[in-house]
Amino acid sequence: MSASWISPPTRTELIENLVSGVDRYNPSNVGILEDYLYHQIRSQEYDCLANLAILKLYQFNADLYNPDVVINILIKALGASPLPDFNLCISLLDERSPNASLDEPDPLPALLPVLHGLHHLLYRCRFPAFWRAYRSDQLESLRDNYTVECAGFEDSIREVVIRAVKSTFTRIGTDRLGLYLDLDSPEELQAYIDKLGWTFNSEGTVVSIPPNPDNQIEAVVVQESIKLPQLTKVISQAARP
Amino acid sequence: MSRPTLWSTADLDEDLADAVDAELSLYAQQGQNPAIYDQLGAQIEQLEPLLAIQQHMAALAAVPDVVKSFIVSFHQAILKRDLPSITIFYTTTFPKLTDRFYSRTEWPEPETIAPLLSSNEATEDQIHIFLVLYRDLYYRHVYSRLHPNIDDRFHSYENSCELFNYLLNSPSSADDQSDEPAPVDLVLPEQWLWDIIDEFIYQFQVFCSWRSKVKSKTDDELMMLADGTGVWSSYSVLNVLYSLIQKSKINEFIVALKEEQEQGREGARSAEEVAKSISPYTALPLYRTLGYFSVLGLLRVHVLLGDFTLALKVMDQVGEFLLGGSGFGAKANKSSFTALPTLPATHISTHYYVGFCYMMLRRYPDAIRTFVTVLNFFQRMQRMRNYSGYERKDQYDQIAKTADRTLALYAMCHSLVLPGSPFTRLDDNITSTAKERYGDQMGRMSKGGSDALAAFEELFLYACPKFINANSPPYDDPDAIALLLTADQPESGEGSPIPTEPTQRHLRLFLASAGAQSPLSTLRSFLHLYTSLTTEKLSSFLDLVKVSESDQEAVEEAEEEAVEEAEEEAIQEMMVLKQNSRSLSRIAQGRSEKGNDASPAGLTVIGTLLEGEMISTSDLNFVIDDNTIHIAESTVGRRYAGWFIKNTERSQRVLDEIRGSPLPVFKGKVGQKQGAPGTVAPGAESVAINDSAEATQKKAPTKTVAWGGAGTRTTLDA
Repeated sequence: MSASWISPPTRTELIENLVSGVDRYNPSNVGILEDYLYHQIRSQEYDCLANLAILKLYQFNADLYNPDVVINILIKALGASPLPDFNLCISLLDERSPNASLDEPDPLPALLPVLHGLHHLLYRCRFPAFWRAYRSDQLESLRDNYTVECAGFEDSIREVVIRAVKSTFTRIGTDRLGLYLDLDSPEELQAYIDKLGWTFNSEGTVVSIPPNPDNQIEAVVVQESIKLPQLTKVISQAARP
Repeated sequence: MSRPTLWSTADLDEDLADAVDAELSLYAQQGQNPAIYDQLGAQIEQLEPLLAIQQHMAALAAVPDVVKSFIVSFHQAILKRDLPSITIFYTTTFPKLTDRFYSRTEWPEPETIAPLLSSNEATEDQIHIFLVLYRDLYYRHVYSRLHPNIDDRFHSYENSCELFNYLLNSPSSADDQSDEPAPVDLVLPEQWLWDIIDEFIYQFQVFCSWRSKVKSKTDDELMMLADGTGVWSSYSVLNVLYSLIQKSKINEFIVALKEEQEQGREGARSAEEVAKSISPYTALPLYRTLGYFSVLGLLRVHVLLGDFTLALKVMDQVGEFLLGGSGFGAKANKSSFTALPTLPATHISTHYYVGFCYMMLRRYPDAIRTFVTVLNFFQRMQRMRNYSGYERKDQYDQIAKTADRTLALYAMCHSLVLPGSPFTRLDDNITSTAKERYGDQMGRMSKGGSDALAAFEELFLYACPKFINANSPPYDDPDAIALLLTADQPESGEGSPIPTEPTQRHLRLFLASAGAQSPLSTLRSFLHLYTSLTTEKLSSFLDLVKVSESDQEAVEEAEEEAVEEAEEEAIQEMMVLKQNSRSLSRIAQGRSEKGNDASPAGLTVIGTLLEGEMISTSDLNFVIDDNTIHIAESTVGRRYAGWFIKNTERSQRVLDEIRGSPLPVFKGKVGQKQGAPGTVAPGAESVAINDSAEATQKKAPTKTVAWGGAGTRTTLDA
């Protein structure tokens, strides 16, 4: 899990060199990284470290700052919950002088609390509340201007849900799961669950989740194990005449 | 009444200024009389250098002889590359003289002492570089004991640049005409090299926080800041550190060392040989050490700038050396440890920053391990207080302060991994130290709720690094600055969830994570009591149902809804609990098949600092089956082995000591005590033998179920 986060298999060599080398500080490379971000958005890929490299360049070079890019990065990071990606991105958003040369008013200050709120709901597994907030009228501009462009955004959130559900449940009520996944119609839910390879019970009210390391529990008594090196002194003592 | 008083003090000030600085008053008079100035202009221009020289000579005459001779011998030692003497001068003599003569004032100006150096038959370059090094000490003294003004801040930056430039870009010796830079022929003690890097970053950080306070600047300062936007810029600081790393090829050196080790002991080249094969820079300990310290410096700079992943990433090669081998059983890299310098200050600061990164990445187990390693190290160090090189109290205090902040971070992480987690028991000794020091806060943090958050905030603000903004306020843009100056309140925005001030921003993020966890300990304590229960029952325990008691009839329906809602709430909270009992960890449980050196406890260290595997951090595991929660608990059987081994060894030592000591010789009073030596020794022996025999018997671990184990729990499934 961690290895693919540090270096996703989809990352090209060019990007890898940028992310790992000193060239990441070169402002003229920001275009390459931004293109890569939009590629991620179109093709449902995700590369946190590359996106952090963009934010790093913005941090050092205020004139490069592009609020749309930042918002897109944050939207991508939402799908990584419960990993701390969202916070890592926010950490790099330094103070910005108010007169940054932008043609339009900066949309970020208004959206930042909204995104932060959404992230908080996800991190606290308040999935129904997340969907309510996300579908609310106040967030229309976020939906129309940003998430609509981000291919598979809703599915990426559903993956967050699936990760949480998979590790917590062995069986879950269909209604509840539908609520978490924001899939109201039984057909949609059915299709989604089939895709996961999970199974319904005969009445179709409960979904069984295949066993995985996290949803299998076992009471164990951990016994101490003593290795030979710990006893060397004692044994050598015994061997003495 | 107040008017005359004011006047008189102003007058006095003027007098003082006149007396102190003759030069200044001279210029002031010139300003008042332009005619005279014109007339005298040419003469004064000639006079100026003379005047300066005279002043310096006067100042030099005032320098105590001890200090003069110190500077001369210090210079000699550096010329002769006499490391032991340099070390003594640096670590002992300089601080002593500082205490004696300069505890409240600057050391003599470098220009003042310059004439002293010519007697040493040194070349101009050598004198120059000594002055650069001297200035390094001079400014460090200003920063630590006095209040640096803007000139000091700018000049210390220029001096650091000059020093690094000298180290990195000195042309090769005169007979070689190529312009290729070559390593310089200089030896400095490791402690000094560490101080150079450490101080460079410290001054950068101090400058940044000073720079970010727009309102307290005088007009002169505003002007200088507008002109000097490149001074102490983040890019320039990073540039220095990266250049030192690249020049010294420290990462390549470490990779090569590792390969050498893996090839086996036979015919392995020594660290020196490996270094020589890489580059002429790497061959010199000066550059290796600087390169290594620059990596650690980079870690710190990235943390200050809020980039916690990048901070850990720069440690890719070095981290394994520094952290993998120490602590936690695995001593894989001990043999090569000696190839890199280890100073207590380095060790403690690095662990502090790495641990902090882990904490911000929510990898609490790794953070705890890192902190435990270094806190143990510090406790050992405290025990031998006169650690070589740390006779100086201020340096020791610095270390002690970092250790105390590390302890605070440890206390926070201890509360953040769920109670009962194996990670709370990693080191009982450190935990009790933390409880002694931060008992109050730890108590509040474990309770949850707003009080806990207040305690977290308190400790975080005390223990966090001094975060900085990467960029300067727009001093070069007068309009923007005017805007900032007139703004009533800086928009730090207490109300907004994400303030822009760096420390506040990191604090909010941290508190949001910590806050999400605060209800979990209550939840956990209920689960602890059962092997299975329904979600409905759990939600009723959690007191989530909030129904008003009036109006019985209408409430019926609402109540049902509320109950359902509460149940839902409980289930979502359970998912959070599950989420938080998983964490990435650099050390995986008992998987040594990869051929990595497994420590005695059967643990394996995984790759670089960023890597890790998901592990369970809790001893309480559960799963929800539709509406029923099943709970299983891991318990740790009581541990006897360690105690018995320790005591067997101890009694053996006592026995050996008694056997080894000569029979006491008695003078006089023979009658009474003569029997004593004869009886004591065999007695002790028999006790010890019994003891060890008993120990060996019990060491074979009998299958014991711990107190409060799984068997004693009841199933209350109503």
